[in-house]
Amino acid sequence: MATKAATTAVDFARIYSTLGLGKETVAAVQAFRKRHADAQRVHAQYASQPTTVDIAHYRSILKNKAVVDEVEKQLKDFKPVTYDVSAQLKAIETFESKAIAKAKETEEKIDSELKELQSTLANIEEARPFEDLTVEEVGQAHPRIVEAVENMLKKGKWTVPGYKEKFGDMSLM
Amino acid sequence: MPQLIPFYFLNQLSFSFFTLLALIYILSKYILPLFTFQQVIRMYITKLSNKS
Repeated sequence: MATKAATTAVDFARIYSTLGLGKETVAAVQAFRKRHADAQRVHAQYASQPTTVDIAHYRSILKNKAVVDEVEKQLKDFKPVTYDVSAQLKAIETFESKAIAKAKETEEKIDSELKELQSTLANIEEARPFEDLTVEEVGQAHPRIVEAVENMLKKGKWTVPGYKEKFGDMSLM
Repeated sequence: MPQLIPFYFLNQLSFSFFTLLALIYILSKYILPLFTFQQVIRMYITKLSNKS
């Protein structure tokens, strides 16, 4: 009854909605579930039918006892045909390996995302207020500015256009 | 020999020239660029904070 326990334990609605699975995966799971339900239905249908044959009843009704004897003998000799299920098992195995690979892929993705988020969080936590920022730190963060300033100085431009209007200057003249 | 008196100041003269050159070099290379740099950065971060 392990299968029954599994079906009651697995909440498929939750799997579809909350795990954020890919379309392919959801379709595969749904197909698998439908197949399982069909198999269960068919199994229940055939299990409810009687499996025994009342030989004595036929023996009392029919006059031709030889036929009944023959049938009884055949019935006793009958052996259910054994099916080779290795193909199905193989299919199940490939499905399983596929599912596991997919799950691992998702796990790796989530792991990397988590790491990124954590680094971002650390960055935010370690950030200092804007007032404590120094010129060197801005220069380190944007080496482009340092280059631009060096270029300016090489061309003899020592002033920044628009600076005086905005901040004023300290010259007395 | 009074005609040699101007030459007595030669050491002072050369030393002051050397000092002047060194001063110009140090100021132009290390100190004054910092002011330009600071002005550029100040403009930059002001623009940044105005944007947001």
